Amino acid sequence: MTIRITLKSSIAAVLMLGTAGLGFTTQAANADALADITKAGTINVGVFADFPPFSSASADMSLKGYDMDVAQYIADTLKVKLNPVAVTGQNRIPYLNDHRVDLLMSVGYSKEREQVIDFAAAYAPYYIAVIGPAALAVKGKEDLADKSIAVNRGTLEDTSLTEAAPASADIKRFDNYNSVIQAFISGQTQLMVVGNDVGAQVLAKQDVLKPEQKFQLLTSPSHIGLNKNEDSLKKAVNDAIAKMLADGKLDASSQAWLKTPLNPDNLKD
Amino acid sequence: MIEFTFWDIVRNLLLAARWTVLLSLAAFVGGGVVGMVVLFFRIAKNKWSRRLASGYIALFQGTPLLMQLFLMFFGLPMLGLRIEPWTAAVLGLTFFASAYLAEIWRSGVDALPRGQWDAGASLGLHYLQELRLIILPQAFSITRAPTVGFLVQLIKSTALTSIIGFEELVRTSNAINNATFEPFKVYGLVALIFFIMCFPLTQYARTLERRAAAH
Amino acid sequence: MAFAWLPGAASDIARGAVTTILLIAVTTLAGTFLSILGAAGRRNGPVLLKRAIAWYVEVIRNTPFLVQLFFIFFGLPSLGIRLDPVLAAILAMTLNMAAYTIEIVGAGLDAVPGGQTEAALALGLRSRQVFIKIVLPQALKVIFPALTSQIVIMMLESAVVSQIAVRELTYEADMLQARTFRSFETYLVVTMVYLALSMALRRLLVTGGRRVLGAGVS
Repeated sequence: MTIRITLKSSIAAVLMLGTAGLGFTTQAANADALADITKAGTINVGVFADFPPFSSASADMSLKGYDMDVAQYIADTLKVKLNPVAVTGQNRIPYLNDHRVDLLMSVGYSKEREQVIDFAAAYAPYYIAVIGPAALAVKGKEDLADKSIAVNRGTLEDTSLTEAAPASADIKRFDNYNSVIQAFISGQTQLMVVGNDVGAQVLAKQDVLKPEQKFQLLTSPSHIGLNKNEDSLKKAVNDAIAKMLADGKLDASSQAWLKTPLNPDNLKD
Repeated sequence: MIEFTFWDIVRNLLLAARWTVLLSLAAFVGGGVVGMVVLFFRIAKNKWSRRLASGYIALFQGTPLLMQLFLMFFGLPMLGLRIEPWTAAVLGLTFFASAYLAEIWRSGVDALPRGQWDAGASLGLHYLQELRLIILPQAFSITRAPTVGFLVQLIKSTALTSIIGFEELVRTSNAINNATFEPFKVYGLVALIFFIMCFPLTQYARTLERRAAAH
Repeated sequence: MAFAWLPGAASDIARGAVTTILLIAVTTLAGTFLSILGAAGRRNGPVLLKRAIAWYVEVIRNTPFLVQLFFIFFGLPSLGIRLDPVLAAILAMTLNMAAYTIEIVGAGLDAVPGGQTEAALALGLRSRQVFIKIVLPQALKVIFPALTSQIVIMMLESAVVSQIAVRELTYEADMLQARTFRSFETYLVVTMVYLALSMALRRLLVTGGRRVLGAGVS
């Protein structure tokens, strides 16, 4: 899959960096999603429940992670309460379109998705990586032939793997990240394709399998997804992200969850 | 890094099991109420009413519950209803249960000798009085074992609502699994909790069955 | 509602349906065989075997199929037992179905009058021959309707194996909705396919049963 730099996402990036120094601008007061959010005093944000280190369950079952930090910051900026809604790759776009959630975290850009949703600022670097045990030699796309590979159905990982892998690759699609990771760890598949940060969490705990990142399939920063024609909400989100980038909060979250300082260059499509 | 102790796992699973219990009860009660309505149609004198009810039952008994839940979950929003996983789960399981319960109770009505209806008629009761005073009490009483048996089925069926995103026992176990990477332990515990909920009911259904057979 | 995607998806749906049919066909054969063994073991086996069968039946009947499936697919590898999704699905389906059909077969065996066995033994047949040739066919005839219902129920429950990446009908539906974003229409079409499959399966079993086991099967 080629990395596509679209007009829309470039504008988003420019807008984001451009407003970084300006701080806040006033928001339009139309009757729209943003007005509804302010009126309700709550913003519903769709996040994965099994997507460490971006969002996963903590010991009290509340969700924690990089995505949760950003969602919380957006809610704080809008002065409303954050209501995280656990979604799956399968149901999250319908959730957004049905207005069950106002925003979606961790949405990679794709042409198919652009038909049905809009993308706000990129806020997290995301590399889609092929991960496998140390003992298995995999260097590039050709080596995926005849291998069994776990992937989360309907996600950007799925699209890019399906495009990259040779026909003989045995792609096993699961319903959620949990099943993908479990399938790989239990040896049900030889490889898995997930974000490298998701992978890193898993790698740290597996002494027997000794999994490692084989190669990166695609670099594609995570965006915040929202419904089309919600310009004021999009602007508010973009402003919040720009502010978070400017005041170092985004970097702090990156250090805390992704274990690496944030490089703004990695937020470009 | 997020860590779970064994106690954390058990505690969170038990907390989630409350939702499984609540969902089962809501669906059983809802299914009972809707099932009664379906039963009325199913045993009515009007041929079309009986056909309609048979079609309803055949539809729910002839398609996977998972599909029924998906249709509920993705379909109702098309009618402009904003539906949460909880609502979709309760509605989906209610309709599912109503079809099965109506069919179970109908078998009870059918099992009653014709004379019971005649006896009611000779006492001067109308149709509804006959149903309420003579037919239904007996039909419920002889179908108590399969009704309890179906409740077990229903409790187990709540597991499927995890797939549409309802945070019950199985969905919580998936989330925990991803932090602990101990599927054998976590799914073992989930199976144990379901067993503890279902086994007494299964035994009760068996006792009822034996008692009915002894009569 | 929009169904423009349907013509292009027909072959995917058909392929998924074929896998669902294959799964239930294998499960029916293996499950019936296992339940005959189980029912026979429960009647005539040693005490330990009887107890083990009783426990197996209780454990399966009192836990959800989805959990059994996850346990087999994700849990068993930690004991070194690693099954391909299709095998794991067939194993889970067979074990699940047999827990119900063992009791059905058992009831059927009970329904065959004991005098027949005695008469056959008196004619000099060995007890295994008596079981296979005389008792079993009559028992199967009695239980055939109950067995048919159980097979149809299992076919419908098999929708869940999409969760471990078996490419059956529900899996194809999930794939389609991820591509078309037409969730309701996709699941509506596939639900109708399931309805047709369950009606066809029931009819096939009843007709087949009548032919093999003789008249009286309804």
